[in-house]
Amino acid sequence: MAETRDIFMVCNNVEELGGLQRWAHHVARLFALRGHRVHLIGVTHADRPHDYGQDPPYTITTLHERRPPPRRGRLSRLRHRATVRRGAVRLSALFRTARPGGVVIAAQVWAMEWVVRADTAGMPVIGMSHESYTATRQSSRYRRVKRHFAGADLLLALTGADADAWAFDEMSNAAAMPNPLHVTPVSASSRTEPVVVRLGRLSFEKGQDMLLEAWAEVAPRHPSWRLRLYGTGPEEGELRRRAAELRLDASVEFPGATSDLEGALTGASVFALSSREEGFPMSIIEAMAYGLPTVAFDCAPGVRELLTDGHDGLIVTPGNVMEFAAALDRLMDDARLRDSLGEAARVSVTRYAPDAIIDRWERQFALVDRRL
Amino acid sequence: MSCSEPDVTVVVIVYNDAGRLARAVRSVLGQSLAGVEVVVVDDASTDATPRVTAALAAASPDRVRVVTLPENSGGCGRPRNVGIDHARGRYVMFLDSDDTLDPHACRNLVTAAENTGAELVSGRCVRVLPEQEQNWYPSLYRESRVLANILEDPDLLYDTLSTNKCYRRDFLEREELRFVDRLHYEDLLFSAQAYVGARKIAIIPHRVYNWLVIPGGETLSITHRRAELRNFADRLEIHRRIDATFRAHGAAELAKLKNVKFINHDLLLYLRELRSRDPEYRREFLALARSYLGAMDPAVLEECNQMTAIAGFMIREGDVEAAMAAADHAPKKNGPPTLSIEPIEHEGRIYWSEAALESELGRRVLDVTDLGIHSAPLGTLRLGGRLDAMRREGRELFLAGDVINPLGRIDAAVELTGKLEIRDRRRKGRAFRVPVTLRREGARITWQARFVPARRIRPIGLVDQTWGLWLSVKADEDTITVRLTSTGTAHDGVAMPVRPRLSRVVGDHLEAYVAESGELALRIVGRRFPARFTLPLLRRISRTGLGRTWWHALMRAEKAVLGRLTARATKIAVFNRVLVRLPIRKGAVVFESHLGAQYSDNPKYIHRELRERGTPHQAIWSYSTSTRGFPKDAKLVKRGSWAYFRALARAEFWVDNQGFPALLTKRRQTTYIQTWHGSAFKRMGFDEPTVKQSTRNEQLRLRQMIGRFDHFVIRSEHDVRTLIGGLGVTAEPLRAGYPRNDPLVTGGDPEELADLRRRLGLEDDGRTVVLYAPTFRTDENGRPAARFELPFDLDRFARELGDSHVLLVRAHYLSTAVVPPGLRGTVIDVGDVHDVTPLLLLADVLVTDYSSVMFDYALRDRPMIFYTPDGDDYVDRQRGAYFDLAEHAPGPVAGDEDGLFAALADLDGVHRDHADRRRLFVERFGEYDTGTAAKAIVERFFAGGRSG
Repeated sequence: MAETRDIFMVCNNVEELGGLQRWAHHVARLFALRGHRVHLIGVTHADRPHDYGQDPPYTITTLHERRPPPRRGRLSRLRHRATVRRGAVRLSALFRTARPGGVVIAAQVWAMEWVVRADTAGMPVIGMSHESYTATRQSSRYRRVKRHFAGADLLLALTGADADAWAFDEMSNAAAMPNPLHVTPVSASSRTEPVVVRLGRLSFEKGQDMLLEAWAEVAPRHPSWRLRLYGTGPEEGELRRRAAELRLDASVEFPGATSDLEGALTGASVFALSSREEGFPMSIIEAMAYGLPTVAFDCAPGVRELLTDGHDGLIVTPGNVMEFAAALDRLMDDARLRDSLGEAARVSVTRYAPDAIIDRWERQFALVDRRL
Repeated sequence: MSCSEPDVTVVVIVYNDAGRLARAVRSVLGQSLAGVEVVVVDDASTDATPRVTAALAAASPDRVRVVTLPENSGGCGRPRNVGIDHARGRYVMFLDSDDTLDPHACRNLVTAAENTGAELVSGRCVRVLPEQEQNWYPSLYRESRVLANILEDPDLLYDTLSTNKCYRRDFLEREELRFVDRLHYEDLLFSAQAYVGARKIAIIPHRVYNWLVIPGGETLSITHRRAELRNFADRLEIHRRIDATFRAHGAAELAKLKNVKFINHDLLLYLRELRSRDPEYRREFLALARSYLGAMDPAVLEECNQMTAIAGFMIREGDVEAAMAAADHAPKKNGPPTLSIEPIEHEGRIYWSEAALESELGRRVLDVTDLGIHSAPLGTLRLGGRLDAMRREGRELFLAGDVINPLGRIDAAVELTGKLEIRDRRRKGRAFRVPVTLRREGARITWQARFVPARRIRPIGLVDQTWGLWLSVKADEDTITVRLTSTGTAHDGVAMPVRPRLSRVVGDHLEAYVAESGELALRIVGRRFPARFTLPLLRRISRTGLGRTWWHALMRAEKAVLGRLTARATKIAVFNRVLVRLPIRKGAVVFESHLGAQYSDNPKYIHRELRERGTPHQAIWSYSTSTRGFPKDAKLVKRGSWAYFRALARAEFWVDNQGFPALLTKRRQTTYIQTWHGSAFKRMGFDEPTVKQSTRNEQLRLRQMIGRFDHFVIRSEHDVRTLIGGLGVTAEPLRAGYPRNDPLVTGGDPEELADLRRRLGLEDDGRTVVLYAPTFRTDENGRPAARFELPFDLDRFARELGDSHVLLVRAHYLSTAVVPPGLRGTVIDVGDVHDVTPLLLLADVLVTDYSSVMFDYALRDRPMIFYTPDGDDYVDRQRGAYFDLAEHAPGPVAGDEDGLFAALADLDGVHRDHADRRRLFVERFGEYDTGTAAKAIVERFFAGGRSG
């Protein structure tokens, strides 16, 4: 029987509405259900806090009342450093309350800057990377991940392929830890509504522009079908303009953001993931849980980890809009194919059932526990 | 933990290495996996090692045990075996006292073993040099893998280290795995036995082992003393035993793969260094290698890489020169190959040596036709040259030797000039040059040089201690690089005085030697006072801890500064901030075709129109590698050079068909006419999947490039729908048609055509001219493949149509196709003809696939055949197309060779049956090509002479 531990989960903030925060609250709750004492820690407050439920079975702390100054110029770098030091003092105080066997999880690299400067009271530190290796490689986070996570006891990536990429790139502490399934569907899609659905921020990275182009190829052949792009974001205006330009006003809907995930997914028959970059796309997991077949660009190892091409989804060469359109076309034409892929998805997604994932976490805790 | 069984026992072997042992042991004790113990096996050290081991054991009595051998074993085998005998862990690993383990090595290896049930887990080893790190066989360690046995990936045999691996102890016991004693390379045999015995093997990409390499250190490690023949003899003995092991396991396939590896890797390693060894050594080496290879099944050679197979074959034949030449052609780190042998032509094919003619196997192994030695532009070949005399004559140095002339390609009629280049071996581009006289003696080319070294060669000293000797030979318009080596002892003991700029304290003579790469070289030595004392002292200082740190910092800084100065980014920054402030030169027009590869296409025909009108414009042409084929009356600038950027900055017009360097800002006063290079069948620009998928920054960069166009030449409204949309062109479409297609409508320049016919040997030729002009294919990385493999049988063409037809093969300019010399006169490679337009005029029929040449040739109203053996895959998977080829093609689409030959046999039928489709094709895709494009463009932009 695994022992119960103090688990400190340190994130940039724990209040915002976002994938990482949703993951953090979910996993914190799952740890707590196993009897662990969980401390969820945000470095700063969010501008617009989201309601993650009343009386959580874990404590929530935010280190700074005000957002630390950005690091531009020499003076503000000094100020930033002083702020981090103050935050690290608070963090150290929290860490000191831990019983033997505690662990620290730095869920994001920015938060890790505080953990690095805090006294972890001998606890092992587990760093996490919540995006694909390639995405990090192309961003300014790369250097910080290499610097701050090098000394961590473990660096957890979302997929085996990403962990391998980090390991090959001299992060020998790399291992993999997928996110747990965070929805418990009571019903599934009947896959009869003539709707293709996409949930996610309307942004360049999420590639709704490519989805619109693909849709323009298939829509004329399927006049009764609709494409529903849930979400809001910086590209909304541009996407609406593009949809009009492609004469898709009649078949494309922009219903905005929704909190009714179940309604959005059960009201559709196909899920389309058209992103340019992804980590471990939770939206695919959700779609699978509700029995939707997915068409996805092969834009990150996470896609292949979740889907098996032709078994529970269709995977398309990144950026190949025609191939994407052809895959949509196949599914829209063939109700039996939708059913077989959708049902297979519902079964295969149980790999990410919370119990299985928390078991994996506890094995990792035991591995980094150095009290022997 | 002392009472429970540890997870891992790390056997650390040491012999007289008191200085580094503690570091190695600490790397084990600091492992993130807790249950790790150390067994130090001291191979009877005579230095302070016993004291160190005692201290280590006293500090961690429950984790470190020490075993001391009664007498020195002279190798690594026996100490490691003793270590295995003392191990108590479930897993065993090996560590040498001068290396270290990665902090997470044990945890990662053991976790992989436990998760997969593997008996042998291998992780990535990194060679750590003072200035850099090198992965050991990185391709094997890209990702985590589990193999049921070694046959699933025999390439693992390349990683012969025993130290980057973790072995289950019960596996070692079951297989009775131990190291051999008294032989070097014990690792090779041990690894082979472990690989073949393991029931499951796991691979992890994590770094586990740091192999700390000290190059040129006083105490050379065993593997570094490769120069010793005894080592080679040991290696062969180890290989014989590996053969026996594989035989005992019934693993014939593995034995073959191992031998392939021996030839591809081990043999090549020795052969590459053989030129730096004396004749005596070479003889003995040959005898040893010949005895081992002679006993090997020659079928192995057919599985080896081309050059190593040749090397193996020539060793078996006893021809060490030809074997060394093969190694010259397969240099380290995929460097440029040197051709240092004169191949022969026999029955229409090219062979490495005459030995080919004696056996079937020889003909297969030694066939090097596909290297294209007979057809590659001379300037792209790097030839081997030799030194056979070197002596001091008073203050002068006299050098003489010869250069190979492969297949007599360096024409006897051409005048040769050349320079001896004394190149700084550390700094690309820095060299002293001395004129040489070149002479022909029969087929041979000989060279001589005479100069006063002290006056011609002025090294700095310390930072440039070695210099390579090269020749640069100019034959007509080709510049051929010749790598020199020594035939044997001609260079021995020759030294000449020299005055380094840092004074004679840092050296006073240059001494000739042959470097391990085989290159003839000079090195600075100190023979007189004071350098005799100061140079060794300075060298010693640079090897001490602090000295080394400073030295490497200095070298790094120099490299960084030099790199920065010549970097493209620097030139672009200077362009954008400084050069664009220079005054515009009225009338200057910079032309470029295919990034400087050719004098061709629309820019050529605009230039020609300008020239014919005699307008006062100055034409500046950009070239990428060689000036051959570029017009003599234009100013030529090398693409990417300072002159190129200066010309672009000051030009009144930019005219090109692809794109000037990204990120260059075009000035408002410069007019950019983008002619493009063909209508689109394949999807282009933002319609291409790779571009769609790319990041916002990459897309912005492309938009910036395209946003510079002021005018975009098109030849139909199809171009508006495809190119202008796909590339996101914001410039004004210039509905003029393509200048390059004017001759296709009006008939072209008869003189130019006659010239071309003469050049290709087609004068007074009644045969039907078939032009085959396919587009490029991509390699596995998605880049254009350098070699285009012809997708039909050329011999069949010669057999069936050779009497009445002649085939011109033109690969896309990004790739080359090789036509065997035996088909000379029937199949002609026209890849080096710059401009395709005259070829289109010459051709009676065009065979293509997806190349945009289809749109141009259609204007000729002659038969066209579309040969698309990889059709669906090419169109659907790789690029996607703007229209269905079969639906619109103005000629038959053949999916296989038989279809192609059937169409070629009935050209009249092809012509007749597709007349309507050809007309429709031209209407649809070439409506503006009416033969007046160049005129229209010149009149619009250049008619006023030096206008504003």
